[in-house]
Amino acid sequence: MRVVNAFFSDMLFMFKQGFFTVYVIVIGIYSVILSFLPDDIAPMATALTVFSDPSVLGLFFIGGVIMLEKGQGVLYVLVTTPLRSREYLLSKILALTVLALLSSFAIAVMSTHVRVNWLLFALSVALTSSFFTMCGVIISASCRNVNEYMLRMVPYMILFVLPCFSLLGFPFSWLFLAIPSVAALKLLLGAYSGISPMLAASLLLYLALLSYLLFRFTLRVFERKIVFND
Amino acid sequence: MVYLLHLRNDVRQIVREPVMLILLLAPLLIIALFRALILFLVPFLEAKTGLDLLFWSPYILSFVLLMIPGLLGIVTGFMLIDDRDGNITELYSVTPMGRRMYLVNRFSLTAILSFVYTYIAYYVLQLFEVPFVTLFFLALLLSSESVIIALLLFKGADDKVKGLTYAKGLNFLSIFAFADLFSLKWFSVISYLFPSYWISFIIINSTMPLSYIASLVVHLLWLVPLVRMKK
Repeated sequence: MRVVNAFFSDMLFMFKQGFFTVYVIVIGIYSVILSFLPDDIAPMATALTVFSDPSVLGLFFIGGVIMLEKGQGVLYVLVTTPLRSREYLLSKILALTVLALLSSFAIAVMSTHVRVNWLLFALSVALTSSFFTMCGVIISASCRNVNEYMLRMVPYMILFVLPCFSLLGFPFSWLFLAIPSVAALKLLLGAYSGISPMLAASLLLYLALLSYLLFRFTLRVFERKIVFND
Repeated sequence: MVYLLHLRNDVRQIVREPVMLILLLAPLLIIALFRALILFLVPFLEAKTGLDLLFWSPYILSFVLLMIPGLLGIVTGFMLIDDRDGNITELYSVTPMGRRMYLVNRFSLTAILSFVYTYIAYYVLQLFEVPFVTLFFLALLLSSESVIIALLLFKGADDKVKGLTYAKGLNFLSIFAFADLFSLKWFSVISYLFPSYWISFIIINSTMPLSYIASLVVHLLWLVPLVRMKK
């Protein structure tokens, strides 16, 4: 129940801060651009757009949210409330993932009219979003301001985005599927162009396991470095 | 004199603070990244798909040139938001320098860097030939654009999170630079009102004198009200 309440208050906060408004504009712009692409490129371009923006919006926003709450002293009084750190983090991840899902679906529906495996699409967006949001929490733990946060995001972006080019295909490029972002993009592209059920299930399971492990690590970093300011 | 002293201190602070130093070097990283993409990704994509990205060279150049003031403007905007949160902006208003000179100082550094990086980007990328006078004019426009973006962020956002939301939205202003590619009359007409549109327009139509006047007017129409706005 506490997570549900925290989730709704996070959604309200995001609404007040204009996250939804800005994403309505973003969706509109992407839809216009994508609708101009030829039919044979549009589905792939849509998958790449969804992967590069709405799926990773959590990484962009969570730093600011944590920095603001740290500055306001909200995080230091967290220990005196019944809300546990685990629930606090879960609610933030869920709220940003819901926004990622809504914007991804809106872009996908408005841009192309091809057959899409919506379940695979939703799962890959949700797993990508939660993964990058947790990365954001870890990065923000050692930052003093938003500029520093944006700077520290760069190595993570390079680490996770550059290997995605391996999907263009070259000898042994399948090894790169071990990198979560590559696995997630493979799934997202698979939602449009088809993917073997066995490979999809393995990648989903792999990403879910990674997300669980990352959540445990994020929780440790969050409590040590942010809540208790160790 | 006080202004120069403060500017010198700002430069010192940037050199001493590794984060700021790296952030100000980030445009160089972007330029290097795009140079590498032109060298390696463009031929690779052409060989794989037959798509020659260099067909859109003027637009790619506009995109990179617009990224620089975008990045510097956002960094300056967040610096100012941080200063405002720490009441440093208010503190300056009671010093001999005053709040106005403090802001001029912050913006001049961004504008100078934008100007210099425009030249660096143009000569490193070598994507599309632009006359020397046009390049100088473009550098001036892009300098003012970095100030416009910093002011939009600083005056529009009440806090860091709103700042990030605004930054996200501001990133999309560069879409207007590509308006003519969509062949939609209404979209091009709306784009006339946005500074980014005129950057690509001048790059492509450098021989049209009217485009220089129009771009200057549009940039001033954004800059002057933002400078005069009280917040």
